[in-house]
Amino acid sequence: MQIKELSFQYKNSPPIIKGMSTQFAEGKITTIIGPNGSGKSTLLGLMARNFAPNSGQILIDGRELQTIKTKELARLLAVVHQQNEAPYDLTVERLVSYGRLPYRHMFSQERDEDREAIEWALACTKLVEYRDRRLNELSGGQKQRAWIAMALAQKTTVLFLDEPTTFLDIYYQIELLDLVKELNEQHGLTIVMVLHDVNQAVRYSDELKVVKDGQIIAEGAPETVMTSELMKTVYDVQAVIRKDEQAGMYIVPIATNA
Amino acid sequence: MKKLICFLVVAVLLVVLALYSIATGSIKVGFGELVSGLLFGGNDNVEVIRDMRLPRIIVAMLSGAALAVSGVLLQAVMRNPLADAGVIGISAGAGFVSVFVATVWPVLIFWMPLFSVLGGLFACFLVYAFTWKQGLRPLHLILVGVAINAMFSGLNQLFNYRGSYAVTQVNQAVSSIFTMKTWNDVDIMMTYGLIGLVAALFLGTWCNLLALQDRTAGNLGLNVLRARLVISFVAVLLASVATAIGGLIAFVGLLVPHIARQLVGTNHWLLIPFSALLGSLLILLADTVGRTIIAPIEIPASVIMMIIGGPFLIFMLLRGERLYAN
Repeated sequence: MQIKELSFQYKNSPPIIKGMSTQFAEGKITTIIGPNGSGKSTLLGLMARNFAPNSGQILIDGRELQTIKTKELARLLAVVHQQNEAPYDLTVERLVSYGRLPYRHMFSQERDEDREAIEWALACTKLVEYRDRRLNELSGGQKQRAWIAMALAQKTTVLFLDEPTTFLDIYYQIELLDLVKELNEQHGLTIVMVLHDVNQAVRYSDELKVVKDGQIIAEGAPETVMTSELMKTVYDVQAVIRKDEQAGMYIVPIATNA
Repeated sequence: MKKLICFLVVAVLLVVLALYSIATGSIKVGFGELVSGLLFGGNDNVEVIRDMRLPRIIVAMLSGAALAVSGVLLQAVMRNPLADAGVIGISAGAGFVSVFVATVWPVLIFWMPLFSVLGGLFACFLVYAFTWKQGLRPLHLILVGVAINAMFSGLNQLFNYRGSYAVTQVNQAVSSIFTMKTWNDVDIMMTYGLIGLVAALFLGTWCNLLALQDRTAGNLGLNVLRARLVISFVAVLLASVATAIGGLIAFVGLLVPHIARQLVGTNHWLLIPFSALLGSLLILLADTVGRTIIAPIEIPASVIMMIIGGPFLIFMLLRGERLYAN
C-alpha cells in the first residue's frame, strides 16, 4: 500500500494529515505510533476509507482507493476498530459470519467456502467453543478476538487494527499481539496497526511509522528508528533506550521535557 | 425453538382473532354461515359483513403490520430504540400533507396516499437535516423529531378547525378510526403496504449491519448511505400509507418492535416478519375491542393505542433500554 501527498482535515478544523507520503511493506507488520492528536488513527481511518482525503492518493495494489467499490474493498482489506458496538444478543458465530458478506449477494445462500472461512477464523482466534456465546457474555479480550475473527473471515490479505489493546488488561494485550504476530507469520497477512505503547510497537513490529503533527517524521525498523532523540522530539519526554537478552530493545521514559 | 413457538403463537392468535372479529359486531353470524356466505354468497348478513367489516379488518391488520415494521426500520436506520413514525413526526407530516392537499385541491383526493408519502418523506428529511451533522445522536434526534411532530400536528389541527367540506372527507386521516373502510382502501393498502412489507423483508442484512457502527458496516462492504436511504424510504412509505388509510396511530411502531425484540431477538431477518405479525395482531385487537366493548359506540383504535402506549413509553424511558452492547 502506498500513499502520496495525502492531506486531510475535518470540516472547519485545522489540517490533521499534511502532505504525507509513504509506503507500507507487504507481508510485514507495520505499526503507526505517535502522540495523541498526531493524526495516527486518522491516517489509518483514511487508509480504511472511513473518510475521504482532501487531496493526495492512497493506492492499494496500484489502484486508487477511492475508485474501488465498497464491496470489493472489503475483500481486499479488513479493519478492526478500537471500540465496537453490536446488538446485545449477537452471537460470536453470527458476528463472524458478517465477515462473509462482501462475498455474498442479497439472496445468496452460505456456500462451503463461506463456512470454511468462518471455521478458520474461529479457530485462529481460539473462539470455536465460544461460537454460540453472546458478545456481551465474553471478556474484553475474547470480545476483541471476536471482532478480529470477523475481519479474518473476510479473507483479505491486509488487516488494519486501530489501537486493538487500549481497553484490555496486560494479559489480553500480550495475547492479542501474539495473535497478530501469528497471523502475520503463519498466514502471511500484511498488518498495519496503530499502537499507543511504544514498547509493544517496538517488540511486535517489522517497521514503525512515527507520526507527529500530521507528518511522518521517522520510519523503518524499530532498532534504527527508536532513539532517545526521537522520543524527545515526538513525545517530548526524556527516555533511555536499553537492550535486554530476553526482552530485546526497550524504552524507559524518565521525565517530561519540561 | 422459542422463537419458532413465538411465531406460531402469534400467527394462530392472529387468525383466531381475525375470524372472531369478522363474526362479531352489530351483525353476528355463525362460523359456518360466514364461510358459506363468503364462498357462495346468498346471505344478506354476510354480504354486509363483506362490504363493511371485512375491509376494515384487512386495513386494520395491514396498518398494524406497516406501522410496526416501519418502527423496526426507523429504529435500525437511526440506531435509536425510540424512533417511531408517530414520535418523530413522519405520520404527522404524512397526515398534514394529505389534509392540506385534500383541502386546497379536493380533486386530487384520489392521490392522497401519494401525497401522504411525500409528506412523510418531507418530515423524515427534516429530521435527518437537523440531526445528520451531529451524527444522529439519539437524544438529539428524538428531540428534533418531537419538535417536528409538534409542528405538523399543530398544522393538522389548524386545518381541522377550519371546518370545511374537505375536513369531513379526510377527518378519518387525522382522528384514525377504521370505520367506513371500503374495498378501495383495501386495494391501496394492499398495493403500497404489501410492496413496502415485502421490500422490508429483504432489508434484514442491511438493518443488521447498521446495528454495528457505520465504519464497521462500511468496512464489511455495505454502502451505508445508500442502505440508509433505501431503508428510510421503505419505512416512510409504510408509515405514510398506513396513516393515509388507517389514520394516525401512535406508539405501534414503538411498542411492537420492543416486545418483538424481547421475544425473537435483534436479528432483523426474524424481527421484521415477527413485528409485522405482532403489529397486525395488536391493531386488530385494539380495533375489535374498540368497536365491541361499548357497542354501538366505537372507540378508535388510536385512542386505545395511546392509552396503552403512553405508560409504556414512560416504562421504557425509566428502564433506559439499551439496544447496543459494546
